Amino acid sequence: MPEIKVTPLGAGQDVGRSCILVSIGGKNIMLDCGMHMGYNDDRRFPDFSYITQNGRLTDFLDCVIISHFHLDHCGALPYMSEMVGYDGPIYMTHPTKAICPILLEDFRKITVDKKGETNFFTSQMIKDCMKKVIPLNLHQTVQVDDELEIKAYYAGHVLGAAMVHIKVGSESVVYTGDYNMTPDRHLGAAWIDKCRPDILISESTYATTIRDSKRCRERDFLKKVHESIERGGKVLIPVFALGRAQELCILLETFWERMNLKAPIYFSTGLTEKANHYYKLFITWTNQKIRKTFVQRNMFEFKHIKAFDRSYADNPGPMVVFATPGMLHAGQSLQIFKKWAGNEKNMVNPFPEQRKLDVKMQVEYMSFSAHADAKGIMQLIRMAEPRNMLLVHGEAAKMEFLKGKIEQEFNCYMPANGETTSVITNPSVPVDMSLNLLKREMALGGPLPDPKKPRAMHGTLIMKENSLKLVSSEQALKELGLNEHQLRFTCRVQLQDPHSDSDTLHRIYTHLKSLLKDYTIQHLPDGTVMVESIVIKVSSSAEDANSKVLLLSWSYQDEDLGSYLSSLLKKGLPT
Amino acid sequence: MDIQCVSVLPRVCEVLAASGSSLPDDTSLEKLLDWFTATTNTGVSLLESAPCLLDFISNVAFSSTSGPGILSFTLKLTGLIAASEDGFKALEECSVLKLIFDPHHWKEAGLWEDPCLRIGWIQGLRKMLQHSKALRLFVQADLIEPLLQLQTDSSLFVSSAANQLLAHVLLLYQSLSSAGCNGANKRDLEHSGVSEQTIISCSGIITNVSEYLKKSLVLKESSHPPQSQQILKLLTLLLVQLRPPLQEQLLLTVIDSLEELVTKRWSLPLMDVILAANSSLQDDCVSKQQIVRLLSIMLYMKKPADVIQVAAAFLRSRQHDPTHAAYAAGVLLLPLDIATGISLLKTNSTGVDLRILMTEQLKSKSCISMICVCLTNIPQITVMAPDCLPCPQRLIVAAVLTFLRLCRGDSSSSSTACVEVSRFVTGSSKVQKCAMEALSELSKSPEAEALLADVFKLLTEYLNSPDSDPTVLQKSYKALINWIGVCRDFSSITDQLREGLMQAVRKRACDIRWEARDSTVEFLGHLAEVCPIGEEREPLKTLLGSCSFTIPLLKEALQDPESYVRASSIATLAQTLTFSWQQGAALTQEQEEIVTQLQEILSQDSEGFARRAVVKFFTAWFSSCPSPTSCSLLMQSVPSVLSQGVADLDWEVKLHTLELAELLLDKTFPERLPLHPYAVISNQPHTCHAGENESDLLCSLNSLVDQGVVPALLCGLVDCDRPVALKACQLLIKLRDTVSSLLVNAADPRVSCMLPGQSWVQEMRGNKDAHTQGAPHVGSESRDEAAEETPCTDGDAVCVSVCEVLRTLDLDKKLSVLMQSSDHIYNSPLSLLQDILTASTAASNPNSDPGQEVIVDCY
Repeated sequence: MPEIKVTPLGAGQDVGRSCILVSIGGKNIMLDCGMHMGYNDDRRFPDFSYITQNGRLTDFLDCVIISHFHLDHCGALPYMSEMVGYDGPIYMTHPTKAICPILLEDFRKITVDKKGETNFFTSQMIKDCMKKVIPLNLHQTVQVDDELEIKAYYAGHVLGAAMVHIKVGSESVVYTGDYNMTPDRHLGAAWIDKCRPDILISESTYATTIRDSKRCRERDFLKKVHESIERGGKVLIPVFALGRAQELCILLETFWERMNLKAPIYFSTGLTEKANHYYKLFITWTNQKIRKTFVQRNMFEFKHIKAFDRSYADNPGPMVVFATPGMLHAGQSLQIFKKWAGNEKNMVNPFPEQRKLDVKMQVEYMSFSAHADAKGIMQLIRMAEPRNMLLVHGEAAKMEFLKGKIEQEFNCYMPANGETTSVITNPSVPVDMSLNLLKREMALGGPLPDPKKPRAMHGTLIMKENSLKLVSSEQALKELGLNEHQLRFTCRVQLQDPHSDSDTLHRIYTHLKSLLKDYTIQHLPDGTVMVESIVIKVSSSAEDANSKVLLLSWSYQDEDLGSYLSSLLKKGLPT
Repeated sequence: MDIQCVSVLPRVCEVLAASGSSLPDDTSLEKLLDWFTATTNTGVSLLESAPCLLDFISNVAFSSTSGPGILSFTLKLTGLIAASEDGFKALEECSVLKLIFDPHHWKEAGLWEDPCLRIGWIQGLRKMLQHSKALRLFVQADLIEPLLQLQTDSSLFVSSAANQLLAHVLLLYQSLSSAGCNGANKRDLEHSGVSEQTIISCSGIITNVSEYLKKSLVLKESSHPPQSQQILKLLTLLLVQLRPPLQEQLLLTVIDSLEELVTKRWSLPLMDVILAANSSLQDDCVSKQQIVRLLSIMLYMKKPADVIQVAAAFLRSRQHDPTHAAYAAGVLLLPLDIATGISLLKTNSTGVDLRILMTEQLKSKSCISMICVCLTNIPQITVMAPDCLPCPQRLIVAAVLTFLRLCRGDSSSSSTACVEVSRFVTGSSKVQKCAMEALSELSKSPEAEALLADVFKLLTEYLNSPDSDPTVLQKSYKALINWIGVCRDFSSITDQLREGLMQAVRKRACDIRWEARDSTVEFLGHLAEVCPIGEEREPLKTLLGSCSFTIPLLKEALQDPESYVRASSIATLAQTLTFSWQQGAALTQEQEEIVTQLQEILSQDSEGFARRAVVKFFTAWFSSCPSPTSCSLLMQSVPSVLSQGVADLDWEVKLHTLELAELLLDKTFPERLPLHPYAVISNQPHTCHAGENESDLLCSLNSLVDQGVVPALLCGLVDCDRPVALKACQLLIKLRDTVSSLLVNAADPRVSCMLPGQSWVQEMRGNKDAHTQGAPHVGSESRDEAAEETPCTDGDAVCVSVCEVLRTLDLDKKLSVLMQSSDHIYNSPLSLLQDILTASTAASNPNSDPGQEVIVDCY
């Protein structure tokens, strides 16, 4: 039985890093190749030795598909392609291909900064890896090889994020990556065809959450920023250059406009331009509103948000600064943090680590990540109509909850890392049928064709250039330019009958005539008896004239009758 | 163990034991275990320094609410502690050991189903099994049974770890029993804790394992292929790791099953078993002959796709078996022979049947994967002894060239096989890449030179073709470089060929795909690199008419919209030009133009890659110049490169700038040996310049200030990126030690420099505050006077006395801070323990903000 196998090397019942192996129709595909941000050693990368022992990934994998630029989805890619060695195709969308190296470079810096590590990929490796990437357009079917095809769909989440439909023959899998079913200020909502995949592999970060609280959280954020500014304080927002920062920028820009606020908002120099550059370049990937108004006004060219210079941090008075990196561990955001930490009027958001600093400023943690919540996941299921569900990228307990909900409708799997889920597929193969054959079947008085009521049809199946056609055998002969061959069975029956050959033949004729009343039986002048298509001849043995040899021959269609006659005649003729 | 950690640990243990299944972060337990392991490795006894761990283990093991995560951790920790005999004894005394490693206990609790617990069980045992007492426990508790069951576990991670553990158990048994055999002296054995009884009781394991393997390898209709594959993997592992006689003992029990598998259900893991047995068994072993026979059976199989895999695996394993090697090489070359029509093999060397079957197989889609295996293994063939090779390497090159033509749809042969194969391989970049790699490798073949023109022609065709995939182009360039690199005689390259290559390079340099443009620019750089400088880069001139062709292309590429290409073109300019510029010839307009353009890139380019390349260009130029100071254009540009580079936003631009500064520093004080970055820094001022004229030193220091080296170092010192600050600090220490004689006296105002921005002044002020609070300081008696002085400011810029700065700054202290990783506090064991405590408090507080549970969007 054909089956699809899914083995997570990462993201199986966790949110550490995504790396999922799928075997479908003899093809092996790796979905995402992420890095675990919680480790500083080799444990941060997936262990590729589980895939093949001799380390020849190129021989094993047919392609790698990256869903979006977050490092827990693409961070191990240069390690895999340039250090372990993978030479095959890597697919991602255009924006992901453009932004991915920036994040990888940034992370390389963090690694060097933290540990001075040497066993880490270099800039050259990142570039060489990116050269292997084949960009994907949305809704465009890409043929990886003769049999494997992939198609990307919009996933929201971050700029360039995509879901991907993978198809081999009539079997298919959809991998969602991270997605968001509700549009936000700068991105649209995920969308997919009703493609009815055999398995829908979905993230489940917010599997137990129904998030109508997004607006509240935004209001809360604005309120806190506003209060700090009113007090004359400074607000530091550590962010990553590209990702959710743009969402917050639009949020603040609109708020500043509405409230007519004058306090300056800054964004780390260089990065604003870079971010704007990418948003302009990939404007089609943003939401409808931004696209529509782009000609009159670029939403990413902010009136209130200006480029930040190091010296501004010492300026008196209130201000808001977006600074990188988001983890506040080094660079500009840390430097500003150190400067402002001593003042209780100031605020930082978020603040994920402890340092030996006398921190008097207020610290608020807020998350603005964009994942589908439980409602969103169900919504996607309704859209794609999968046969089976497989949950990844979520915590086990939360997945279990959602699994319970989903299983009321169909199978839902949640393999742990290293565990393989096998789903038996029952691929229905579409076949074209000739009108003639259909008419003939109808003429036989069967019911009208109905997709809901399967029935047997007889004909010849022609497989030609990836298409299947059922036609009548005559038409098949004509189309394929073949001659019709007759298949005949022959058998010899020995008989003791002390008569002449012609008498014996006549005796056979009368015997059969008496037994087989409904059949056409003829005694032909050429010395044969024919029962339907069965020919019977008689000859005497050279040694013994009484011993007769009956030669029976019949066509394939009369197989039943032929075998019946041979066994009948073996019993001898009536005396 | 740190005293603070010891004091926090009991509380952490309490919290963890009570955490049930709600753990804050899956990595924190792993890291905690890392810390315990590291502590144990330093020779510290965990139980002595943290007795609370014993209670913790008992609490978790006996609690019915412990979740699989915490149990898994506890199992591993138990194993770690029980690895020492004292720890083992202590755990045994509180009767926790048997219980915690008893799978039935966990099965009854319904936890065995969780792969995380099974992994913990395996890894805990693996850690514990270091001594005979542990092995005895393993045997007495009959743990071999559950371990054997785990060999084919549904989790890849579990089964693989179980394979490793089983091998470890057998190795331990082997080493203990060999101690028993060799030691002869019974007393010695008892002394080492190995009783004869232990060995006898442990020998039951071998029987168990043998029977298990035998049973698992019997071919059954119902046997699940992935499971038998896992057993074969296990067998390979055991054969590689074990020694005789155990090795052969195991093999003998399974050899009949192996034979059946070889004839009925071939697989690559099976081949690995046979190869492992063949290479690890000694020649006098009983089963050796049988293994060699099985190897022959596999190699002489008739199924094309399988036999190719077997041949490849055989050659990769580098077995010393010339006859089989020659046959395997023949099998691997067969598809090429058939597809190209070039007779690589003597008639019938691989048998007529195989040739017929292979020809048939090549007419189907599967020909792509077969040909790829054949091509990727060509390197294994080329390293074979010439007498084993089925044909001269020249013919293999010719076949690969013909095949590459076939891949472009250009087939000169009309044989049916060629036509059929070309249907599938034409335009397949997968096959093209494999063939290009093979061609690159073949450049090492002894007759390479004679074929250069052919290779050149074909690669030019590929470079010219608009259909070539960028990855194929990249590999074509690589092959070309490899071939050019090994050749000395370029007489076979006609003008027509050269023109063809130049045309192709020109075309690709303006390809629509940045990947193609970048590979082209990189190719020009590699070409300059492979061409030996001593011979005036003859090949470069011969092939591309020297710089007159490349420079305009590269200058064009400096304007490329893709920053990667701009960076590559700058790097290539450095590789191509710096050699010719060092000759001290008169300045050309082109040189000035390029330098100006590079400086513009450094100040204006929005991407870091290009700016990094510019600084590296100047570094390459400077270091390739025998006398840089006499090159006026270089010396004019250096100050602005340094000042712009160090103020850049990209950390690597800043770091490369400091590397340039280091070159200048070394040039100015040449006799001083470069200081190793990790060398112990003496607190004594360096005295090797005692005899040196003070005014010379002053003069040198002044020139460093003028060149912008000192300001760059001082700016770098206060940089927010740690690697930059560290490098600057190291260089400043080097400078301080070199000019130490100037610093002994009171501040010398004769050398001063301007620094932009206020942050530096703050840094210095901060330093002085620290000094007045009694921080250690490099010898300066007039410190207080210096502290009185305030640097004079001019707008945003500040003017400082270099000697005073060098003397006042506590560079050694700064260095020790900077040497620490920027996350050293965050990554310390104490921080980890506190994190666990904080997270548990947050989790147990029902009023905590629900938004806090999501910390997944950081990247």
